[in-house]
Amino acid sequence: MNEKKIGQTLELCLWILNPFMLVLAIFDQQIQPGVFFQWTGKLHPLVLHFPIVFGILIAIYFMFFQQRKFPPDTEKLLFAINAVFACSVAILGLLLSKQNAYDGELINLHKWGGIAVAILSFVFLYVLNFRISLKKILAVLFVLVLIGSTHKGAQLTHGVNALSFPKTAVFSAEKELSDTTATIYEFGIAPILAQKCVSCHGADKMKGDLQLHTPEKILLGGKNGDILKGNLNAEAGLIQRIHLPVTDEKHMPPDGKMQLTSEETSILSRWIKAGANFNTRLNELAKEDSLFVLVNKLRSASNQKVVQETDLPDLEEFNSNYCTTNYLFSGSDEVEVNFFQGSFYNRENLKNLEKIKNNIVSLNMQGMPLAKEDLDIITQFKNLKKINLNSTGLNISTLDLLKTLTKLKAVSICGIKFTEAELDRFLNQATFSSLNVWSDHVNEKQLEKLISKHPSIKFYVGDNLENVIMKINNPVIEQDTSVMSDHIDVKVKHLLKGVVIRYTTDGSDPDSLKSSEYTRPIRLSQNTVLKVKAFKTGWIASDLVQRTFYKSGIHPDTIFLIKTPDQKYRGNGAKTLIDYELGETNMSNGKWLAYRESDMEFVIGFNQPKLLNSVHFNVLVDLEAYIFPVNSITVQGSNDGKQFKPVANVRLPEANKSELKRVSTYSCDFPKATSFKYYKFIASNLKKLPSWHPGKGEPAWIFVDEIILN
Amino acid sequence: MKEFLEHGLNQNRRKFLSKMSLGLGGLALGSLMIPGLFESTTEDELFSNVLPHFAPKAKRVIYLFQNGAPSQLDLFDYKPMLQKMHGQDLPASIRMGQRLTGMTSNQAKFPLAGTKYNFAQYGNNGVWISEILPHLAEISNDLCFIRSIYTEAINHDPALTFFQTGAQVGNRPSMGSWISYGLGSENKNLPAFCVLLSKGKGNGQGVYSKLWSNGFLDSIHQGVQFSSGEEPVKYLTDPEFINREDKRAMLDEISALNDEAYKKIGDPEIVTKIQQYELAYRMQMAVPEITSLQNEPESIVKMYGPECLIPGTYAANCLLARKLSENGVRFVQLYHQGWDTHGNLPKEIEGQCKDVDQSSAALVKDLKQRGLLDETLVIWGGEFGRTNYCQGKLTKDNYGRDHHPRCFTLWMAGGGVKPGVFGETDEFGYNITKLPVHVHDFHATVMHLMGIDHEKFTFKHQGRRYRLTDVAGNVVRDIIS
Repeated sequence: MNEKKIGQTLELCLWILNPFMLVLAIFDQQIQPGVFFQWTGKLHPLVLHFPIVFGILIAIYFMFFQQRKFPPDTEKLLFAINAVFACSVAILGLLLSKQNAYDGELINLHKWGGIAVAILSFVFLYVLNFRISLKKILAVLFVLVLIGSTHKGAQLTHGVNALSFPKTAVFSAEKELSDTTATIYEFGIAPILAQKCVSCHGADKMKGDLQLHTPEKILLGGKNGDILKGNLNAEAGLIQRIHLPVTDEKHMPPDGKMQLTSEETSILSRWIKAGANFNTRLNELAKEDSLFVLVNKLRSASNQKVVQETDLPDLEEFNSNYCTTNYLFSGSDEVEVNFFQGSFYNRENLKNLEKIKNNIVSLNMQGMPLAKEDLDIITQFKNLKKINLNSTGLNISTLDLLKTLTKLKAVSICGIKFTEAELDRFLNQATFSSLNVWSDHVNEKQLEKLISKHPSIKFYVGDNLENVIMKINNPVIEQDTSVMSDHIDVKVKHLLKGVVIRYTTDGSDPDSLKSSEYTRPIRLSQNTVLKVKAFKTGWIASDLVQRTFYKSGIHPDTIFLIKTPDQKYRGNGAKTLIDYELGETNMSNGKWLAYRESDMEFVIGFNQPKLLNSVHFNVLVDLEAYIFPVNSITVQGSNDGKQFKPVANVRLPEANKSELKRVSTYSCDFPKATSFKYYKFIASNLKKLPSWHPGKGEPAWIFVDEIILN
Repeated sequence: MKEFLEHGLNQNRRKFLSKMSLGLGGLALGSLMIPGLFESTTEDELFSNVLPHFAPKAKRVIYLFQNGAPSQLDLFDYKPMLQKMHGQDLPASIRMGQRLTGMTSNQAKFPLAGTKYNFAQYGNNGVWISEILPHLAEISNDLCFIRSIYTEAINHDPALTFFQTGAQVGNRPSMGSWISYGLGSENKNLPAFCVLLSKGKGNGQGVYSKLWSNGFLDSIHQGVQFSSGEEPVKYLTDPEFINREDKRAMLDEISALNDEAYKKIGDPEIVTKIQQYELAYRMQMAVPEITSLQNEPESIVKMYGPECLIPGTYAANCLLARKLSENGVRFVQLYHQGWDTHGNLPKEIEGQCKDVDQSSAALVKDLKQRGLLDETLVIWGGEFGRTNYCQGKLTKDNYGRDHHPRCFTLWMAGGGVKPGVFGETDEFGYNITKLPVHVHDFHATVMHLMGIDHEKFTFKHQGRRYRLTDVAGNVVRDIIS
């Protein structure tokens, strides 16, 4: 094979390799190379030296040797070799970059620089016949890109300071810190700064003229002056910046960079507020000091291995209809547990959780019927931070077991009974910092005493409403029908515990002393106005609730309507009037017969002449909806069903403008008791609405749902 | 010349194209390293075991929807300027020709109506609150008021639908359904999404079941309506003479049949149906236990007010909402109707406030005293605000207000929200001057509090992915503690 053939083959290879490289570069985030490709990536540092040397030689060749050129085929071969190397290095580099987490900005510059080198090398193949001056420009450009990208590469592998002059390292993460001599700064502050701040405020970059990599530099401050000292009106600069909302331009670290965790924020602020002393040793702090606790937590967190999702136990086996467990969020190893429905509580479910006892941080046992045995299990959950024992029926003395849970922060024991002394004893052993408890069982003074005695605990006690006096809501008369044929048992209901319902049936208002107390359904057997009222000590009595019950001793054998009602409100035909079902205030529930264009007219019949002395019409009144009371009632009697004689006629009082929507009874008493086989009733509506009504002059509606005969 | 150039490049079209084909090979090679590039990912893969995306601040939501749009100007957004200019015309420089509803756009004048009520500042944050909300004023230290929320819709139904589903037309899943779909139910004996309705005496607007629809999600995520009467969930109780064992046997048979049908047809709704039967079966036991008022001490009744003992009232629903939420229901949605105060505002709004003030405050207090407020997000607000000018006749102490979507107030409590006041409107209460919060932003924020990244939480339907926030929404980070 001669030079030309090899050159052409390599050129073809380049047409494959370059697009491949671009795909890798552009879809960097999605690429997941297999094991083999991961391994080839490691060749990157080996191969990369070839194109550097080749490339520089080519640049020199372009610059100085254009008068004495190689033959074209040789030229092309050499250039193709260079381009293949350059492209391969870029590809290997891209594969390698998937294996380590590198600093985002550096790797990006290096990545695109390398790609530029590869593409320029490729372009060289096609400019061989171009003007010399153009080639020289390209050569210079190429060398600059090459230097730039290799410099970034060197920084990636050998550290940011790889190509800068040697400096004395001040803080080294590898330095072994001893518990007895190390300062808070070394343990808690420097690692945070190194991880989250020094990349911009360090030896290399000093944005805002601020450097944070040594104590001396930190004390120097930045362009806004001292960052550790605040004054009366403002917090120290550093504290301010880290507490601003992320969206604020001045927030540090800036949006997009890795943010401080709330614990880190807390460590920094506490350290600064405590005077920002670089020499205080960690072990000088008290064990309960928040700063000590936080810094220690930070240390142990950095020593812990990262939890892999695959290491986490599957929670499926712990879940049932009455107990659910889940990780706080995806990737977390912390588990919260909820129990539901006390009547199905099963201790085995709780016992089963011992398998994940170290993962459980939150436990909700609200409403479960718990005993000491359950608490024994719970106390094994050493990492528990939050527990809800509301209404669990536990005895407060058994709660002492909780003292072994040292991580516990929040405890909720609403509904658990205690005396002042019992609660005090429980609080004396408390490891937690927040307590939800109901104050029902101790008085306010006792509680205040306890609160001031235990300042480290935040209490949520709810309102003590014992002395607030309120009015009871009304009792409910639970009865569908107000009409009885012989008798009726009326139920009255009130949902407030301990309420006393009193009633009267003689029309007087019930009072809290004399009136009968409701204990079982009230039996009524004649027309009665039932009045009820609810009483309870410590409460204002309810409003009066009343309802009239009618006895319909006489049930006609037949009934038919002479005039048909409005087609929208036809109820169940004539039977609607004698079905003992009252329509209530809903006019369109199908229990009402309504007339507007004509009077209501109907006939009832008995097999034998029947003695009657009165009739009651149950009528709906809703003035806004044009529904007025019956205007007049006329009664006629007959024995043959053809010839009717007048029996009674009554004109009823006109409606009052302010009348509310209600159901009402209108009666017509016969002057003397009469006996007929057939009775005809005519109930007339108001033909012209009064002038004060919006629909004045129009006819009114009448709505009737029942008639009661006596 | 052409030949010369071609020679120079040593290139022609054929050569170029043939080399391009090699390039395609290179591209293909590269694509081999992107897993799943040409596979469609199912929704399950997208977030099975991935939700919540990050540590949630709130585990549950109780949304107290004030249906009909309460007047922010008479409750929360204090504007002395309106009182000073009572009766004068709304300056055109403020209205800026913005659209009005058909109900007032024909008015010749837009007389400004100052609120009739006295405002005072309460709590650590000095929040201005109206005298008709004394109980809420008392707990102002726990509330986060967003004074700068705004919507696009100008009428009730679209605005309400927008708030509930993220779109003005009603075919999308409700917020509660999304949450149910994403996080599931904590308590397997109750639906993840429950709905409670109540009605005040004020001018009301309809509430329809489309608002708690599952849309294109599985129907198991539909909101289940509770009433607080004897039978809180309709059709849940068994007919007489059917005992639990028989019922169990029947369900087993039915689900065997359904299983068979599913294997044959593969309709996912069949699986849903099986789940629903099972859930209903468990609810038969759970619901009476949870809705019973027997274990509520008297102090709770006093806290919510004795009205809470009357089924179907707002107070009773608040109490029930607490019980459901406490028992692991992810999303409890209340609606209280009657806030549409076009006329007679003072009379109507006083009645409405009487209905909701004490019990809304009681709900927050109750959650707090039980240690649940930090994990339960309570939201209180309407579908839009009301105008600063009067609709109809303005007198000294009577006025009405039309719909105003451009700014209104909504408050939240608990669930990782920072108490305080967020956003600001101009001195006429007409436009937002600071930190506007769109409905989509509100949704994004609620999702965020629940540990969900609203941009990643999607459902593929009819060829596109849907989100609650559609293609918008920014998390309002400043209100998150």
